[in-house]
Order: sequence, then structure tokens, then C-alpha cells
Amino acid sequence: MKYAGKILLADDEAHIRKYLSLIIRQLGKPTLIEAVNGQDALSVFEREKPKVVLLDVNMPLLGGIETLKRLKAIDPDCIVIMLTSLANRETVEQALENGAAGYIRKDTPKEEIASVLTELIEAALEPRTP
Amino acid sequence: MVPPSSASASNVEGRRILLVDDDRINLRILAGILKKEGYVAAEANSGERALELYLEFRPHLVLLDVVMAGIDGLETCRRLKRAHGERCAPIIFITAKNDSEDVVEGLAAGGVDYLPKPFQPKEVAARIKTHLQIQLLAAQQLSLVEQLRNANVAKNRFLGMAAHDLRNPLASIRGISEFLLAGAVGPLTPDQLDLVDTIQTTSQGMLQMVNELLDVATIEAGELKLIPQLGSLDELVNKCVTLANMEASKKNTKIALEAGGGRVTLSFDAAKMKQVVDNLLSNSVKFSPPGSIITVLVRRETATPHVSFAVRDQGPGIPHDERDKLFKDFGRLSVQPTGGEKSTGLGLAICRKIVEAHGGTIVAENLPDRGCEFRVTLPSTQ
Repeated sequence: MKYAGKILLADDEAHIRKYLSLIIRQLGKPTLIEAVNGQDALSVFEREKPKVVLLDVNMPLLGGIETLKRLKAIDPDCIVIMLTSLANRETVEQALENGAAGYIRKDTPKEEIASVLTELIEAALEPRTP
Repeated sequence: MVPPSSASASNVEGRRILLVDDDRINLRILAGILKKEGYVAAEANSGERALELYLEFRPHLVLLDVVMAGIDGLETCRRLKRAHGERCAPIIFITAKNDSEDVVEGLAAGGVDYLPKPFQPKEVAARIKTHLQIQLLAAQQLSLVEQLRNANVAKNRFLGMAAHDLRNPLASIRGISEFLLAGAVGPLTPDQLDLVDTIQTTSQGMLQMVNELLDVATIEAGELKLIPQLGSLDELVNKCVTLANMEASKKNTKIALEAGGGRVTLSFDAAKMKQVVDNLLSNSVKFSPPGSIITVLVRRETATPHVSFAVRDQGPGIPHDERDKLFKDFGRLSVQPTGGEKSTGLGLAICRKIVEAHGGTIVAENLPDRGCEFRVTLPSTQ
């Protein structure tokens, strides 16, 4: 993956943050920052201004979809990828409608997580042809 | 779950009985008998009144005269049955004499029994008691079935929630152990590698088990929803075979896709059907001895508008007396995997449900020499 900027990883489960950060580090040299819930994600986002956010759907205090809406309100260009455990169709549709670049199922094999993540980020970063 | 009411079926005192007769003397005699037996009676002097009073009084039993002015007993019975269906109280007809035509017609209209006039108090009491007991037992049974149904729904919900919550941690354990195995955080000694390998295989097995439980919970809750799309079945099978061959090569087994079926296009849910193909392939590898050759065939039937795919293994086949268990939940057979693989006994049950949701069938047949053929047949409108 060419992207070497900041990636915010927001998930309330520590094992997921640890696991995904192993995967992300293998992909290149992005700077990883973490948040443990939606509210935390918002404040870290305002402070660090990352270009890419990985956002868990089910989080305490502020859920993923609501956090997504607020992130997009702050920076419409930020690339948000949702993390789901079950690809519930409604949730996925809701996320995409609100500007998410895509979603990743956390229980898929790590190779798949890595390739989907790379694809999504690179596609979103590609300069759009008018 | 609440245990069935402790009142036994023999305790029918205080039950409500609706008396319907246009003859006041008959009503009085019957009311006297019922009161002595400890029942609560309400009286109606016509069919029309009986229909009204039924709603108010909610009787456990109805005694109904056949011959009445206005709507007669037979019509009253039919209307009660129509209005209250299975939950209608049992109806006993009162016949003027031992008129066999009345009796036959009454039973045909939905009555459970008849009482001939003039009344014999002991006979009346005995017949009423019998029917009240039957009615009570039936009601208890209905409520038990209802309770079991609710318990099953709660079980499925729990199963779904538990399985769902176990998936992510298991996926993390599996993934992190894979990083360790790959030396992502430094080299491990052979002993350490062996231990981490055990963690990886075990968590992988658990994840699969949990996924299968989740599938069963989803299917049982009636939430199996297909998203059918026009696709190529042979292409799907081909992809699955390629992937399954990687796993099969560990047992020196080869899965061969027989060519010549041509393009097989039809409408199906690709993700769900992939699950079926994967399951049949992994079973065939699991139960065939190492070094086996497994044959897969996809084709369009010529005689009927169907497509089918079949997987032929070289395992021991299915014992005759265990055929019934094959496609049922947790229906594990005495046949063992040949490489120590795990099985939940849910895979084929899930396959069957997915195939049936597509309007298809799945069957297993032992082959003449050895081995077994699993065949999935799907309707194709093309």
C-alpha cells in the first residue's frame, strides 16, 4: 500500500485493535492512531486529522454510524471504512449512504482483510478524473 | 418454562358449561345435574342466544339441543366452529330420542358426543366429565406446545447472540497466531511453532463451529434470506475446487473437476451456494483416505429443467442404518474423518436447508465399489 499517512483505528475491543494493527503495519508505513469508542474517535480525529479512519459499527457511547456522520460533517473528504462482525445488509447500506468508502468483516481471514483494505484506500485516494 | 398447571385432568370442578335448549324443563333438569357435580352453568333458550352467550360466558363445554326454533342446534354448532375454530369448546348434542340420524348429523357438524333424552343423571355426569377431561388435556397440550415454541425461539436467539459475540475474539486469536507463525514478531523455536500452530488450528476449528451454529440459529429463526442472481454454477464450483485443492493436498488428495458440462447458468445465491459446495468438498476430503481422488461434476440435466452438481468421494460410504441422520442437525455418523479433522454435524443440515430454500434437493448415495456421491439438483428455468 502506497499510503503512508495517518490511519485512525476505532474499535472498543482491544484484541481487534491489536490484530488489525498487525495487519496494517504489514501493509506499509502508515502512522496508526487508536480510539476506543465513537466519542474518543471524534476527539482524536479533530486533533490528529487523519485521512483514513477504520470505524467499528458497534461501539459504546457513540455508535459507528453516528460517528461516521459526524466525521463526514467535519471532513467530507476523509476516507472511512466500516468494521463489521456480521455484514448486516441494512447497516452496510446505511454506512454507504452516509459516505463510507466500504466495509470489512472482522472475521474474514487476514489476507482478505489486508487486500480489501488496500483496495479501498487506494481507490479512494486515486485522483478522480473529471 | 412454567410447568403445566398442577390441577390434574381429573379436577374439572368449577368448569363452565353452556346449556342450550328451547325446553325450559330440560334446561332445569340439566342445570340441576350440573350444579350437583360442581359445574357452573349458563342457560340459553335458542341458538341465537347461545351464540351471544358463548362470547360472554366462555364455556369449557356446550350442551346443545338439536331441534330448536330459529337456527337449530346443527347450524348453531357449525357457526360456533366457524367462529372459534380449533379453540371452540367441545359440543355435546341433546337428541330427543335415540335418533340415529340426528346423532350422525350432529357428529358431522362437529359435535363430540350426544345425550339422549330422557336424561339419566349418572350418564350425563359421566359423559360431561370425560369430555371436560379431554378438553383440559388438549388445552394443556396446546399451552405446552406454545411454551416449547417460545423456548425454542429464545434458544435460537441465545445461540445467535453467543455465536455472534464469539466470532470476533476467535478471529483475532486465529489471526494473531498466524502472525506469530509467520515470524512477524521474530523467529520462534520449533517447539513454540508447534504450540502456536495448535492455537491456530484450534481457533480456526472453533470459528467454523461458531459460524455453523450461527447459520443454524439464523435458519431456524426463519431468517435465511436468499439473494439470487444470474450466475454460472460451473464457475463457482471451479473456484471452490481450486481453493479446496490447497487443503486437500495436505492429505495428498486431489479434487478433479470433470470437464464437458459446458456453461451452466442459472439464478442462485452465490454466497450461500458456495457454502454448500465448500461443505461437500471439505467433507469429501475429510472422509476419504489420504491419496484419494475426488470427482466433481456440474451439468445441465437433459430430461428435466434442472442443473446438478455431484461430488464423488472414496470414503467408506454411508452406513445404511444411519442414512436418516445424514442431513439432520447434529446428525454425526459413526464414520470418522480420516485425518483427525473435526465435525460439528451441522454442515449437511445447513446444506440441505440452503438447497431447499433454492427449491432444490440434496441426496447421498453409496457408489457400487466404494465411496459415496452427494448430488445437489437445482431447478433452472432456462
